[in-house]
Amino acid sequence: MSIKPEKEGSGKSGWINLVFILFFAVVLPVGNRLGLFSINTISLWGRYFCFAIAALGIDLIWGYTGILSMCQAFFFCLGGYGMGMYLLLKATAQQGLALPDFMTWNSMTALPAFWHPFHHFIPAFLLSLLVPAFVAFVIGFFIFRSRIKGVYMAIITQALALAMYLLFLRNETKLGGTNGLTNFRSLLGFDLSASSVKIGLYGVSLCMLCLAYIACDKIVHSKFGKILQAIRDSESRVGYTAYRVLHYKLTVFVIAAFLGGLAGMLYVPQTGIITPGRMDVTASVEMLMWVALGGRGKLKGAIIGALLVNCLYSVCTSVFPEGWLFILGLLYVLTVLYFDKGFLGLFATLGRKLKFGAGAGAGRGA
Amino acid sequence: MKTSFQILLCLALCFIGRYRAAAADSAGVYVEQVLYPQQAGARSLAIGRLAVLQEPSVLPFLEAISSSNLYLLDGKAVTLGSRKSESEDVFTIYELYPSHRLLLDGHGQPVLLAASGLKPVEISRIDRLQLGAAAGWLNIFNADAQKRILAYTQLESASDTTLIGVLSIALKSETNADAYRAGRETWLALRLNHPADPPEARALIDSLSANDGDNTTAILRAYAKNGGLQRDVGLYARQKADEMDSQYAWLQRLQNLFSGLSLGSILILISLGLAIVYGLAGIINMAHGEFLMIGAYATYSVQLFFNNVLHVRDSDWFYLTALPLSFIVAGLAGLLLERLVIRRLYAKPLESLLATWGVSLILIQTARSLFGDLTAVKLPGLLAGGWQVTTHLVLPYSRIFIIVLTAGVVLSIYWLLFRTRLGMQIRAVTQNRNMSACLGINTRRVDAITFFIGSGLAGLAGCAMTLIGNVVPDMGQTYIVDSFLVVVTGGVGKLLGTIAAGLGIGVFSKVLEAFFEAVYGKVLILLFIMIFLQFKPRGLFPDKGRIAED
Amino acid sequence: MILEVNNLSVSFGGVRALDLSHFRLEEKELRVVIGPNGAGKSTFMDILCGRTKPRTGEILFDGKSLKGLTEVEIAELGIGRKFQKPSVFPGLTVFENMVLAAKMKKDVLSSLFFKMDTVFTDKIHLVAEKVGLSKALQQIAGSLSHGQKQWLEIAIVVLQDPRLLLIDEPAAGMSDRETEKTGELLLELAKMHSMIVIEHDMHFVRQIANKLISVLVNGKLLMEGSFSEVKNDQRVIDSYLGRANSQLEKL
Repeated sequence: MSIKPEKEGSGKSGWINLVFILFFAVVLPVGNRLGLFSINTISLWGRYFCFAIAALGIDLIWGYTGILSMCQAFFFCLGGYGMGMYLLLKATAQQGLALPDFMTWNSMTALPAFWHPFHHFIPAFLLSLLVPAFVAFVIGFFIFRSRIKGVYMAIITQALALAMYLLFLRNETKLGGTNGLTNFRSLLGFDLSASSVKIGLYGVSLCMLCLAYIACDKIVHSKFGKILQAIRDSESRVGYTAYRVLHYKLTVFVIAAFLGGLAGMLYVPQTGIITPGRMDVTASVEMLMWVALGGRGKLKGAIIGALLVNCLYSVCTSVFPEGWLFILGLLYVLTVLYFDKGFLGLFATLGRKLKFGAGAGAGRGA
Repeated sequence: MKTSFQILLCLALCFIGRYRAAAADSAGVYVEQVLYPQQAGARSLAIGRLAVLQEPSVLPFLEAISSSNLYLLDGKAVTLGSRKSESEDVFTIYELYPSHRLLLDGHGQPVLLAASGLKPVEISRIDRLQLGAAAGWLNIFNADAQKRILAYTQLESASDTTLIGVLSIALKSETNADAYRAGRETWLALRLNHPADPPEARALIDSLSANDGDNTTAILRAYAKNGGLQRDVGLYARQKADEMDSQYAWLQRLQNLFSGLSLGSILILISLGLAIVYGLAGIINMAHGEFLMIGAYATYSVQLFFNNVLHVRDSDWFYLTALPLSFIVAGLAGLLLERLVIRRLYAKPLESLLATWGVSLILIQTARSLFGDLTAVKLPGLLAGGWQVTTHLVLPYSRIFIIVLTAGVVLSIYWLLFRTRLGMQIRAVTQNRNMSACLGINTRRVDAITFFIGSGLAGLAGCAMTLIGNVVPDMGQTYIVDSFLVVVTGGVGKLLGTIAAGLGIGVFSKVLEAFFEAVYGKVLILLFIMIFLQFKPRGLFPDKGRIAED
Repeated sequence: MILEVNNLSVSFGGVRALDLSHFRLEEKELRVVIGPNGAGKSTFMDILCGRTKPRTGEILFDGKSLKGLTEVEIAELGIGRKFQKPSVFPGLTVFENMVLAAKMKKDVLSSLFFKMDTVFTDKIHLVAEKVGLSKALQQIAGSLSHGQKQWLEIAIVVLQDPRLLLIDEPAAGMSDRETEKTGELLLELAKMHSMIVIEHDMHFVRQIANKLISVLVNGKLLMEGSFSEVKNDQRVIDSYLGRANSQLEKL
């Protein structure tokens, strides 16, 4: 697959991967059994893995291809809403009601047509993945076709995120308005509030993260991945070299949206709620920040960034809730100004200076 | 003894047929009785008589009794008019009898007094009940114009023809133009609903339509629905109503256009700064909206300073001070941002976007910690109210001010950029930074000044925003996405494009909002812009030639 | 006849940048285009490779009209462009640069499942040898010297195996030694490809001009002729009087 044999550091990076997986696949669940970590901590990390999956998508499109898309949270939510609709319909059926509560409150009499496929898991699962991908395809087609790029792309997608956010806030969208979808009970017959199910979902998220990482790794090391980087560095040259830039951009945009949808779909059963607040303008920018902080243009950077920022968020909001925005804002500024390459770059530099393996730092960062 | 004699005398006089003159005379006596009852029961008797007489000149006096708003001032019956302002407990004073007039001081200004400075005349509920049915319409003699308008409007559906006479009396002494229009509308409507021959009915319909009151079309339609006096009269009424409705629709469109203009003006104020800064430095400044917020809070702080430190209340000076100050404060904030953060990010639009987003988070949180969640600036008296173009088209002065301000700013910016040496330098640096530096232009100085101006403009927009909205920490975020859309549609870094796009998007939003919900309007705007960019991916006014391709 | 151009014109903001009534290029011909700055040379190439759309006129490449084609479609037809400012993929290694450029199926799926084989590697090594970059194959292209980038870009264009090469100022910013090497390279390439070369440096032009030279002035074709004809033409000398200045500007 790779067009160039990996020579440097493959052994070392293999070790880091192993430590990472061992820690999260063994230490955390076992720690939970022994009473070291609460089930909430486990569930929290499960959610972080979802964010990391979305971050991988962002790294593909931004870090590798150089397209700053500011509506990734929207794709995340599309996936999330898909799963949320399925869970809500199941919960409603369990309660013996005909319609979800919010529909009754909005004096609706029948289930809207577009809700019907979400009665069953398989179509709901597929739609949660395909709808974000399809929407990305349509949006991407029109944006890339007219060669909107750089700043224009960022602003257009940001406006799109805002418009969609406002749209989802409305009751007429029939997706629960401001309150979103909540009160889920079970997934495929498993009780969502049970600890074992939470650990199970955590495990699934971790697996999906690993799979997504492997897939993305394959992609960026394929010739396709090299073309993405070529587009980032010199788009016009790619065109003159007879590659149809539109197709490549569109493909990577769709892949990123797909990963976002997957992440959102995994995220919802673990949090038990999905609201439009997850897709406001800030949410998308924050997702970009995970990648920038971790080190964009490196898949591990995206994962580390997503895990780290969210971890920091949990700690900060419980210790000093007022200060979180200050910290986040400062992180944005400092990252961009002083460590352009993110934590990975920082550790690499430090490692080089201290003759200290960059990997140890990255492992600790995770 | 003497009083009862007088009463008897009056009654006698009434009986011998000199009714009208005598009634006027006797009313004076009864008023005296109500104010200074000489014996138990005399007041009740006098009110009872006044209620029966319904002598026009005492109706305001009766209204004051009915609404328990009767006071004595220097021995005369007076009533409280409208409150001077929300915050102050003083009222204008109306004399009630024999003439009904506003009391003026030596300089021709209305006398303003607190209610506590007047001696109230307490009338028992039983006595007030004697006013009976008349209490329902006495409100049309209330001293407060708003209450009169309400009373007039309520009478529109009345069927009592005697009210026509009462209304005529009230209209004769009506001083307020809006109240007069409402009263006349009712008067005409009552006459229209009671038998008149077809030509008179048509004349009344014409008068109603010429009077142009708030409910005229509803009255006409109801009349037409009930069949009217004759079929063709009914049709005539409907036709008139249709004409008026289409006229209102036009006025509504004008109103929307005007709102759009003022929204567009604000967008232009914000976007101009963005466009200049982007053109010069290749910076997408996400914190630009926060300069708007800073400008608004500067205005708020100036108001606090005037109120609490200088103890100047009710002055427009605070706003006139705030206008330049908001520009300067926001400009300085921009300068600081340029020095600390942006200087390192020149020509890196996407990186700068993230860093300035971080700055905006910090600024919003700072504002929240300092000022709390919601504050508002008081509208300066000078800009309260609006320009009444026609009876149904009022353009608020605050919005007119914003449009004028923007026009002024745009002209000054053009003058600055195209008529001054500094402007030439700014344009030179915008086009080719390195070459300009080679030619001896101090690019750092130019950057600093440009940033100052760009951010200052946003601050000015913030100051203007306080006229039409609240001051909240995240007010900048509400506008930033829209203003970026303006910049993109206009062509990044292009002034003329920015102006055209700002006006276009502003007007378009408001016009669309008239047809759809605001949210769908926004979605549609975005859709239009996407379609527009399909054909003009570089905005309205793209660069031409080889430099455009880099 | 590989290229035929008739009545081609384009203007930027009211200024007519190019007004070419007639231009022909034979199969396997190397044509040098010279002219003072702003003569429309680069604009001519921009139009040929689809970067700029002409206002009027007709371009026939191997008998096919290029009207309405995108850069990609033109590149697929077999026109390769080397820009005045080196345009390579700075974030990739030299080797990867060349892999991307090489002629093959270039749709998304083929790229995703592309596998390297020895035939392919050999081809790249051969070209790398030609342009003198064999030792720098694993270097990041962004870290190459200016001259090396120029050669890499030529390699990129050659690897596309185009029928017509458009080469814009290949010797700009090169040392004399490098310039001479570039000239040799171009002459060798000209054996297999048709080629249009824009150049300012008259020594270089003398080295490579084996047949005709076209002189563009103010967007119009002033004359066509051999090196000595052009060199001794009074009109050409007149229009080049400002050339010393233009050379200064470029520094």
